[in-house]
Amino acid sequence: MFLERTGKSSSCWAVLRMAAFLILATASLAAQGSSLYTKWINYTPANGFPKGEVYCVTVDGDRVWAGTRDGLVLLENGSVKKVFTTKDGLAGHAVMSVAVDKQTGDVWIATFGGLSRYSGGQFKNYTNLTSGLANDLVYGVAVQGKYVWVATTAGVNRLDTYTGTWSIFNESNAPFEEPWTYDISVTADRIYFAVWGSGVLSYDPEHNSWKPYSDPDGEMELVLYRNQGLIHNVVSSVSYNPGTKTFWASTYFGLSSYDGRNWHNYLTKDSGIVSNFVNAVRSRGNEVWACTQKGLSELNTSTNTWTTYQPDAKTGRGKILVTHPDGRTERIGSSTTLAHNYILNIAFQGDDLWVATAQGLSHGILQPHKEQ
Amino acid sequence: MIVRPHSRWRDAALWGRLFFGSLLLMLVVALPWQRSLAVASQGAPNTSAVNSTWGTKYLSPVALKLSPDGRRLYVVCEGDDSVLAVDTKTRQVLARLRVGHRPKGIAISPDGKSLYVSDEESDAVTEIDAETLKARRTLAVGWGPVGLATDHSGTTLFVANTLGNNVSLIDLQSGREIKRLEAGHYPEYVALSRDGSRIYVANLLARIAPNDQPPVSELTVIDPDRQMVAARIDVPGVLQMRHIAELPASAGGYLLIPFMRPKNLNPLVQIHQGWYLTHGLAVIRPLISRESGSQSYQVAEVLLDDIDRYYADGFGAAATPDGRWALVTASGADMVSVLDTAKLRHLLLRTPITQREALANRLDSASQFATQRLRTGRNPTDAVVSPDGRLAYIANRMDDTISVLDMTRMEMASTISLGGPKDISTVRRGERLFFNASYSNQGQMGCATCHPHEGLSDGLVWSLETPQLGRDVVENRTLFGIDGTSPFKWNGKNPNLETQDGPRTAMYIFRSQGFNSGEVNDLVTYILSLRLPRNPHLARDGHLTDTQARGQAIFFRDRTNAGALIPPQDRCYYCHAPLTHYTSRVLMDVGTATPYDTIHAFDVPQLEGVVMKPPYLHNGEALEMEDIWTKFNPDDKHGITSDMNKVQLNDLIEYLKTL
Repeated sequence: MFLERTGKSSSCWAVLRMAAFLILATASLAAQGSSLYTKWINYTPANGFPKGEVYCVTVDGDRVWAGTRDGLVLLENGSVKKVFTTKDGLAGHAVMSVAVDKQTGDVWIATFGGLSRYSGGQFKNYTNLTSGLANDLVYGVAVQGKYVWVATTAGVNRLDTYTGTWSIFNESNAPFEEPWTYDISVTADRIYFAVWGSGVLSYDPEHNSWKPYSDPDGEMELVLYRNQGLIHNVVSSVSYNPGTKTFWASTYFGLSSYDGRNWHNYLTKDSGIVSNFVNAVRSRGNEVWACTQKGLSELNTSTNTWTTYQPDAKTGRGKILVTHPDGRTERIGSSTTLAHNYILNIAFQGDDLWVATAQGLSHGILQPHKEQ
Repeated sequence: MIVRPHSRWRDAALWGRLFFGSLLLMLVVALPWQRSLAVASQGAPNTSAVNSTWGTKYLSPVALKLSPDGRRLYVVCEGDDSVLAVDTKTRQVLARLRVGHRPKGIAISPDGKSLYVSDEESDAVTEIDAETLKARRTLAVGWGPVGLATDHSGTTLFVANTLGNNVSLIDLQSGREIKRLEAGHYPEYVALSRDGSRIYVANLLARIAPNDQPPVSELTVIDPDRQMVAARIDVPGVLQMRHIAELPASAGGYLLIPFMRPKNLNPLVQIHQGWYLTHGLAVIRPLISRESGSQSYQVAEVLLDDIDRYYADGFGAAATPDGRWALVTASGADMVSVLDTAKLRHLLLRTPITQREALANRLDSASQFATQRLRTGRNPTDAVVSPDGRLAYIANRMDDTISVLDMTRMEMASTISLGGPKDISTVRRGERLFFNASYSNQGQMGCATCHPHEGLSDGLVWSLETPQLGRDVVENRTLFGIDGTSPFKWNGKNPNLETQDGPRTAMYIFRSQGFNSGEVNDLVTYILSLRLPRNPHLARDGHLTDTQARGQAIFFRDRTNAGALIPPQDRCYYCHAPLTHYTSRVLMDVGTATPYDTIHAFDVPQLEGVVMKPPYLHNGEALEMEDIWTKFNPDDKHGITSDMNKVQLNDLIEYLKTL
């Protein structure tokens, strides 16, 4: 492990300022328990994992479900236990999202061939032709009580598992500019949807009402006014953090958050996020994890510190970039790293991370950080 | 044409498309009357006015439970909505309690202090003080509850909801439903394993599957601690799994579950002397891996029929505490089979795994382990064995009695009369015939064999009359609410039920003399008395949800989305006419015939209760209701539907579910 410091000082004042920053940086690392994800275990074809993209990952206690280009992978105790494919009954090859119903234990699987439910060792499939599913291209799935919410290219579905009733929400009955829905985040009383071209939509089931959150400057890929609203209407994912009562929205043009009063936008030009092309975002506690095309960036909202994890293509080692609130950065190396820098999704298992990348699944283990 | 686009009442609105104003007026007058009847029939359990009505209805006992000390036998009587407590020493009825509508199942708490009785048509469970036989409270559960059991600690009740295809978990402290777990198809019977680690749920019907595949049924296994489905065990080739008996570990730890095994894919007219369905027992062995602790299951099937005599419609299953003996009632044969479980185990163990599958079709097996066949009363259902293993009690549904079997001598000791009317009505005679398999060749089947749960469709496709394999297969149809829907059969050849149940049944199904004319009359009277169960998809007050109301508008629409007029014969309600149970009662060609059908026009099925009777279309090709339009109506011959979007189709289906 090594540490580099960047930032130039050309005067005493600058030296003093650097010293202050160092103190702050040390304090911030201490606030993080002085730990970093420097240990990574990767799952690739070399150890029985399917080849290619891992689109999603979901943690269910000791089990980890990973959706790949060619099936659904179940890992138990760090080992690949089973790779489910269409031959096993899965609705489609490409698995885009997995949700575990904490009440029933049923696993709901979004595929590009429809929706699957895995229960008691058997699959049951729902398709556009054989059920009320709006479209077989299913990007997201989430469970809220007895309801299963499904994000498809033709809008959002809700399945009442008690009655078998399917409902469809799209531009005909809800404020969708586009029906193509990517992701779902459920809370106790709201459901948030990430909609391609339609921003973020929230649904209040008690009052059967919808609320849209869209980019105030429309389709423009520029941000005219900082923190004015959602950064762009092409939203790839949404994550509600109940602790901070904030939802986070990832777009291909930056990251946005909304706490009910204020918007905050995060771009490479004014934050430590490694790329504006964000495939997914997940937030818990004071952590926000942005899955970008250039690596995995974490924002600690308590310290306003960004930490980005990337593999170094040249050395095969890991690069960790810590960006402090004042813009000063630290570079830390690690002997192991993510399977790929194109990050598609992330899930938490205690302190551990499970990261879906374009070339395998990565298991990040928090390690004490030894400062030099 | 009279249109009432804003009506949100299912029944009221369907009248709105009637053709004549005068008829509308008549119907508007008639409707409130009809509703008031429906409301009156949905009262809460009544424990106060019990004595005034005892004796006016047949009891029809269907479920039994013994107190832990064996001194009391609790009897659930579906016919008069009651639970009885019988003193097993004096063999007298001690107490009666009125519960909800059509009670079907019973569970007892581990301490023996509480009884739980499922009220199928009330969607509820009555909790009863076992000592006083007084109702304590009513617990709301899912749709059509039947089987139920508590967990080992008595804190959670597991209730199988037949119409919901799921299991309600009830917190017995609060009385509230915690969650529902999806089961298989029509879950009916529930049992807690002896060690308390598993809840088993037997599903009456097989999974809905392609019409050229044999049925596969499911035994749903629930982990009561985690309150999740632990396994879904395939039981191939069978359906109508009923009560579950578990042998103790010392006797192999097998689960014994009666079933019916059809050969519905064979042309029935080609099968010599019948033998197109048999009756047997699933023998399921839970296995626990020493290494991982995970559980798996070995499934074997044996027949209980003999070569020359069948024991139709297995129903109850029970075992002695030591597992030495097991009992299986044959509800269509009025018999109980006594099984020597050691011999059964020996048969299974010495049969190589590769030949186990053949066991499921062998009619020479039962003689090796069925040591006694004892006559019971009419239509034996549930069976229980006393804690000391000396006595067994068998509920005889069709004569309101309990048979007492002396297990030490293996002979019937006595019969306990539960009461009920002594006069046997026409309907009751017909009901007895319905459940009686003795009229068919070798006693192979009765009406109830293919119409379980008192008239349900078995969900299978049968090859009834054409000798070629795979030709003219037809889906079985329900018997609920068929009065006024003639003609019968998919080809409409039977103008009335007398024809259907008389010579045609004798010739094609029973392969026997069949019923005489008086018996046919009784049977038809009974079948026509069968009513549809309450439809849970429709609110009790008949009010339609937004989705259902939109679907109703589509059902009654006369213009496409583009505004084009839909020809009358292409509108839903033209063939599925509301005034005649949503059938025009004629044959129609809607483009669903296949190259394997001899005819192209089929009887228009009534739509009432349609949600409860998949698969759909004459040959059962449509496994889900969506399939009717998404797969089997490419030319808009089955109504003009191709202009509908997915939201509209979903709406239409939600409306059809309310019928």
